[in-house]
Amino acid sequence: MPIAAIATERLTKAYGPRPIVRDLTFHVDPGEVYALVGPNGAGKTTVIRLVSGLAFPSSGSVRLLGFDPHQRPDVRRRLGAVVEAPAAFYPYLSGRANLELHARLVGGVPAARIGQVLDMMELGPSADRRVGVYSLGMRQRLGVAAALLSEPDVLILDEPASGMDPLSLHLVHRVLRDAAAQGTAVLLSTHHLDEVATYCSRVAILEEGTLIDEVDLRDRQARFRASVSDVHAARVLLDTQSFVTQAGIRGHEVLFQLTDPAELPRVAPVLTKARIDLLALSRDTFNLRAYYQDRLGERRASNADEAPDGEASESSFEGRVTEASEDEDAVGRGQA
Amino acid sequence: MSALLRMEFGKLVRLGSLRFSLLLLVIFPLLWSYAPGIFDVYGFYLVSGYQVPALGLLSSMEFLLPLLVAITSAELLGIEMSYGTLPTILLRPVSRSRWLLAKLIVSSLYPFLLLLFLLLVSLITGAFYGYGSFVGGTGLGAGGILGEGLMQPAPALAEIVWAYAVAAISLIPISLLAVLFTVMFMSAAGGALATLGTLIAMKLLVVFPAIEPYLLTSQLSSYVAPVAGMGWVVLLIFVYCTAFAVAAVVLFERKDF
Repeated sequence: MPIAAIATERLTKAYGPRPIVRDLTFHVDPGEVYALVGPNGAGKTTVIRLVSGLAFPSSGSVRLLGFDPHQRPDVRRRLGAVVEAPAAFYPYLSGRANLELHARLVGGVPAARIGQVLDMMELGPSADRRVGVYSLGMRQRLGVAAALLSEPDVLILDEPASGMDPLSLHLVHRVLRDAAAQGTAVLLSTHHLDEVATYCSRVAILEEGTLIDEVDLRDRQARFRASVSDVHAARVLLDTQSFVTQAGIRGHEVLFQLTDPAELPRVAPVLTKARIDLLALSRDTFNLRAYYQDRLGERRASNADEAPDGEASESSFEGRVTEASEDEDAVGRGQA
Repeated sequence: MSALLRMEFGKLVRLGSLRFSLLLLVIFPLLWSYAPGIFDVYGFYLVSGYQVPALGLLSSMEFLLPLLVAITSAELLGIEMSYGTLPTILLRPVSRSRWLLAKLIVSSLYPFLLLLFLLLVSLITGAFYGYGSFVGGTGLGAGGILGEGLMQPAPALAEIVWAYAVAAISLIPISLLAVLFTVMFMSAAGGALATLGTLIAMKLLVVFPAIEPYLLTSQLSSYVAPVAGMGWVVLLIFVYCTAFAVAAVVLFERKDF
């Protein structure tokens, strides 16, 4: 069994009597994008700092590529990380000079690599300007460039898209997706649920330092929806096909999950042969935002039930839960 | 380690407090050399360029130089906190102790750089009085400023260099104490103020004669009047430096960032 790129075991961190992170166990495999999501104060940043070796666990353990990062600081040679938002650099140095300094700290990188990561993050034209005059988004992109500098096996990023415009946001997500495709394990904390849902392998939902749910999005890559002339007939028909694992109805669409996304071309002929008109066919992206709101809502409602009178959670949250529930589909979000 | 040291020296020369210190150390020798009240305060007239460096030390070792050393040493670490670069650096494959050790080494060398600068500025400023033989003393030797007869240039310069070297050595523990307090409080201002507070408290402790020879502040006048033999002074300073450096590294190793 290959060693997990990141592994925590009952990880707990407390400042004083109050635990910020409690009994957190998770792992991130090579090539996987693992997202930590949760409301502000949920403990995402603390988890990032514990995993990257900046903070010490109160109990439990952290393994980075199989090693304790505190015992073996050299394991960070294979780590790229951004733990500040915006990413922190020496403002009196240029973007390029800052990366050169980082290159020295990792023991050197090929000369062309600095220009390569600057271009990758579309910072080439600003590379020789002082970082002090960079915008928030440019600093964040420089942070990602610094993290990618040594072609790491593990990338850890805390809010990598914070303060970015939509184009930069898209760029960062694309870069992270590409890094994962090349085998890098990516751990990030984020509030951009819609974006990460499109490429994350798994998502951990944190609330008050506790892992309340871990959603595996990988099997959802093979989920599709079709707009057809007869949804009921289409659902029954698709349900009988060997390459379809599950089919259901949501509104005027039929939703189905394939045994393999490569089987998609077989869907249209089956429907056409049964004289069902296929009007549109697309991937059914998992509604992570709605699921997240549901799970947090359930958790808070449960906490409120357990709490004494007067300590119930904020009623304003109920609206979001209702809204999320309306999106519930027949294929079922609850399979996470 | 040499790469780390080069990086830290690069940061040192960019510190605002260093530039401010150098500016002060240019202004003060100029003012002292031509100040009308020198005789009233120190009881002598300058007759040689070799006496200006002594005046520089006599007037700054009590407060100004320890203050400048403490502020800059605290800022050398504190700047990483204000820029937010400390976590970024610690995420690289450099052990915390090695990185802090580089800071401690540069902080230890800083008093030498500062005093070398003061010496050069004082010698340049003193050119007005000339550098020939003179009757009197440098103020840094056995005969004090009045001297023991005719003073030749070579022994005068040797006395000055020796005194500046001893003064720099006696400032090293203050540098390291500032780094220790900065690690403790994670703030340059906190580190510098705590160092100054400690120095002031130590100065007040002279009311206990038994502990006076052991105080850090008692060693600050070693360049002209050591509390004991130079061997004792060096040993005590070494003990202080080791204790401050080890405490700083141990604390830093266990800090959460």
